[in-house]
Amino acid sequence: MIALLTALTMVAAACGGDDGGGGGGQDGGQDGGGEKTLSLAMESFVQNCGFDPTCEFVSYWSMVYTNVLLRPLMNYAHVAGDAGGEIYPDLAADYPEVSADGLTYTFTLKDGVMFGPPVSREVTSQDVAYAFQRMASQSQGAQYAFYYEGVIDGLEVQKEDALDIDISGIETPDDKTIIFHLAEPTPDFAFRMAMPATAPIPSEVADCFKESGEYGRYVVSSSSYMIEGSEDLDITSCDTMQPISGFEPERTLSIVRNPDYDPATDDPALRSNNIDKFVVEVNTNVDDIFNKVVAGELDTSPDDPPAEFLREAVGTDRLPINAVDVLWYIAMNLTQPPFDDIHVRKAVNLIVDKDGLLRAAGGETVGGIATHILPPGMGGPTPEEYDPYATPDFAGDLELAKAEMAQSKYDSDGDGVCDAPECKDVLLLSRNEAPWTEYNPILEDNLGSIGIEAQTRELEGGVAYETMSTTSNNIPIGAHAGWGKDWPDAATFFEALFTSAAIQPGPGVNNNTSLVGITPELNDERELELTGNLEGVPNVDAKFDECGALGLDEGRVECFNELDVELMENVVPYVPYRWDQEAHLISDDITVWEFDQNAGEMSWAHMDVAG
Amino acid sequence: MTRYIIRRLLWVGLVVVLIVFLAYVIFFLMPPVDPARAFAGKRPTPEVLETLREQFGLDRPFYVQFGLFVKRLVIGDEYGWPGFGFSYATRSPVREELFQRALVTIQLSLGAAVVWLLMGIPIGILSAIKRRTFVDRFAMGFALFGVSAPVFWLGLMFLYIFWQKLGIAAGTGYVPFGENPLTWLNHMIMPWVVLALLFAAFYARMVRGNLIETMGEDYIRTARAKGLSERRVIVRHGLRASLTPVVTMFGLDVGTLLGGAIITETVFNMPGLGTYVVRSVFQGDLPATLGVVVLGALAVSVMNLIVDIVYAYLDPRVRYA
Repeated sequence: MIALLTALTMVAAACGGDDGGGGGGQDGGQDGGGEKTLSLAMESFVQNCGFDPTCEFVSYWSMVYTNVLLRPLMNYAHVAGDAGGEIYPDLAADYPEVSADGLTYTFTLKDGVMFGPPVSREVTSQDVAYAFQRMASQSQGAQYAFYYEGVIDGLEVQKEDALDIDISGIETPDDKTIIFHLAEPTPDFAFRMAMPATAPIPSEVADCFKESGEYGRYVVSSSSYMIEGSEDLDITSCDTMQPISGFEPERTLSIVRNPDYDPATDDPALRSNNIDKFVVEVNTNVDDIFNKVVAGELDTSPDDPPAEFLREAVGTDRLPINAVDVLWYIAMNLTQPPFDDIHVRKAVNLIVDKDGLLRAAGGETVGGIATHILPPGMGGPTPEEYDPYATPDFAGDLELAKAEMAQSKYDSDGDGVCDAPECKDVLLLSRNEAPWTEYNPILEDNLGSIGIEAQTRELEGGVAYETMSTTSNNIPIGAHAGWGKDWPDAATFFEALFTSAAIQPGPGVNNNTSLVGITPELNDERELELTGNLEGVPNVDAKFDECGALGLDEGRVECFNELDVELMENVVPYVPYRWDQEAHLISDDITVWEFDQNAGEMSWAHMDVAG
Repeated sequence: MTRYIIRRLLWVGLVVVLIVFLAYVIFFLMPPVDPARAFAGKRPTPEVLETLREQFGLDRPFYVQFGLFVKRLVIGDEYGWPGFGFSYATRSPVREELFQRALVTIQLSLGAAVVWLLMGIPIGILSAIKRRTFVDRFAMGFALFGVSAPVFWLGLMFLYIFWQKLGIAAGTGYVPFGENPLTWLNHMIMPWVVLALLFAAFYARMVRGNLIETMGEDYIRTARAKGLSERRVIVRHGLRASLTPVVTMFGLDVGTLLGGAIITETVFNMPGLGTYVVRSVFQGDLPATLGVVVLGALAVSVMNLIVDIVYAYLDPRVRYA
C-alpha cells in the first residue's frame, strides 16, 4: 500500500512538473531541418552578475557577448595568436579620430546596425552613452567601471539612476557620433572600448532594471545573434516583461540568429556567422560531458577535459590546444619574514621545481613553464629568450638556491640553509583541489631544502583568494593564484598586481598581494593593518606610469618588458611557474575550430559544424 | 488524534525555524568568504562591494537579516509566497527555481522509494522464509553489495554499461513527463535503480531480521495452530508487526531524500535540489542554499509526522493523545 501511495504521489509530481530542463541529450552538429547547431555542456554556468553585460566579468560570457550577442565600438577578430589581439572597428565605422593631445576620441557609428527583437531599431550613439551611464550608476554594480572612472571626464560612479547621470566627458552631437573627452591621455583607450559593458544597450528595456544583474535575462542583441525567444519579450512596459525563454540561468542558454542583423554592416574577419544555433546546457557530471563529446552527442565543452580524455586525444585533431594569456604564480609577501629579504625570494625562485609542478598539473597539455611575468602572447619574451632563474630542466637547483640563500640575513652561518626562527612554521596558502594538492608536497619539499619549513593551509579557491587578498591577514606566501588579462595589454597585468594604488583594505580586495610599493604611510592612510617590515619595499609605480603613457608605436610593449625584468630581478615578488594553455576536446562534427585569443575561449564567431 | 496532529504541525514549524536559524548562523555569521566579495569580480572596488552588500541585505545586523528572512518566508516577498529572495549568482528568484527542482527531486526520490520497497521487502521476506538456503545467501549477498557499493560508482557503472556500451538506456539528463512520458521514464529508470539499491539492501536485511524475530513469537505459533495457511500467517500476522520499523525508516529516508539526492542527481545530471544546493554552496549563493535547507527541513519534519500517524494505524497499541 505504501508503495502504491508513493507511486501515485510521484506520478502527480511528474505531471505537475514544469520543463525542468537539465539536458535530455541533444545531438551535436546538425539539428533537424539542416540547421547547424553547436551543442555544448558545462558543469555550471559560473556567473558573477546574472549574465548582465554591465556587470558580468567572467571570461566565458565576455566571449559570448563580443563574439555573437553585442557589438561594442571596437572589437577583436576572435582568432588565435597575435592576430587575435588586434583591435578593429565593430559598431564604429572606422578607428577613432584622436586629437593631437590624446584627450579626445571621436567615433562615428556605422549605418544599419540594428538591435535585435523586440527592439528592432537602429543603434544610436545615445545607446552607447547609456551603456556608460549604467556603469556609472552604482546600483548596477559594474565590476570594471574603474577602467573608465577617472579616465573619461565626469564619469563618476554615483548613487543615481542611469538615465539621471550626466557624464560631461561623453558627447553625442547626433545619432551617429559619440565623442569621449579624457581626463588624461590613455593610449589603450581603444581597447577599453572593446569591453562588453561598453556595447550599446536599449534604455527602453534596460532602464526597467535598477539593480545589478537584473537585466541579464533580458539582454537585447546588437550583433548577429540573439537569445532565443527574444522576439516574445513584451516591452510594452516594465511590468509586462518576462525573462527571455532561451536563457534559464541554471540550465540552458540558446542563441539563434538575429533576424534584424545586416551582414553588410559587418566584417567577415570579425564574424563568420557559420552556425545557426548555439545551445549551452548545464551537466553536473563532467565525465558524462566528455563521454558525450566523444560519442558525438555534444560538440565540445568549455570545461577542462579529465585526464583520461586528454590522454586518449592528445596529438589528434580532436584536442586543439591554445595558449591563453594567463600566469600562475607563487606570491611572496615582501613585508613578511623571511620574504622581506630579496635573497630569500631569489633562492625560492631557484629552488622551485617548475617542471614538477607542470607535470603535476598535467604536463605540456595544460601549459608551458613560466620564467617571468608577462606571457609571450602579450609581447613578453619566451623562456628561451629570458629566464632570470634558469635551472637545468626547470627542476630547480639546490646549489644555486643555497648560494643565494647564503647571502640572506636569515642564514647566519652562510651554509645556504635558512636557520633563523623566521623560517620555521611559515604559512603557505594553497588550494584544496587538484592540481594544488599535488603541488603542495613539492613546494614543501623545495622550500624545506633551503630551510623554510612551510606549513601548508589548503583552502577552497575563492577562500584562498580572499584570505591572501585581505591585507590584515599578513599571509607570507601563497601558491593559489593566477592572473589573466582583460585586454591584450600588459597594463592589465601590472597595474592590478604591482602598483601601490592597487593595495586596498577590506576582505578580498587587494590583488597586489606581494605589497609592492607599500610604505608605512600608505599602511596608516588606508588602514591596511599590515604588520611586518614595511620599510624599503621596492616600488615600480614610476616605471608603470612611464610605460602606461606610451602608445603602441612608442615602445609601450618594450617598456613593459623592461618593467617585467625590473620586477623579476630587483623586486622578485613572485615565482612564476606556468603560462596556461586551454585544451578543448571537440567532436568530429566540428569542421572549423577557432580560438578567441583575447577572450581566452573558443571562438563562436568563426567556428563551424557539419551541415 | 486531531489535536496530536495539530500539535505536531506546530512543532514542525518550530523545528524548521530552528534549523533555518542554525543554517543562518553557519552561512551568514561564519561564511568562508564574504558573500558580496564572491560576486564582485576579480578587482572589486569599495563601491561594488557596498552595492552588493546593500542589494544582498548583508549591510544589516544579523538578527535583522534573520528576522526579515523569516518574515519573507511566512508572508512572501516580491517574487511570491513563500519568499526565498533572489539568487546571488543568477539574480533570479530562488522560489521558482526551488519549486521546479523540488518536483524533479520528488520524482527521483519517490520513484526510487517505490523501487526499493518493491525490491527490498520481497527480498527480505523471501530471505526470511528461506533462511539458510541458497536463496537466503544470494539475497543477503545482494544486500551486502547494495550497502557497500558507493552510489557514485554505481551510477557511473550503470551509465558505462547500459548507456555507453549497450546503448539500451538513455544517458544523463532529465526530460519532463509532459514533454514525452516514455523518454521521461527512460531517463528516470537508472537513477531510480541506482538510488534504490542502497536502500533496498538495507530494507531487505531489516525485513529479514524483523520477520525472523516476529515469526518466533508465541502468537505466530498460535496462528499456525489455529490452522491458518502459512501465507496468511506471514502476511497478516508476521509482516504487520515486522514492518513497523520499516515504516519509520521509510519516512525518514524519503524525507531525507526529498532534501536532494545529491550524488545521484549529480551523476545523472538531474536538475533537482541536490545539484542546486551543491552549486549554491560552492558559489556561496546563500539564499539558494537556505532555500534548500528550508525545504529539506520541512520534508524531514513532515515525513516524520506522517510516519508517526501511519505507525499508529499499524500498531493499535500506539495511541496519541
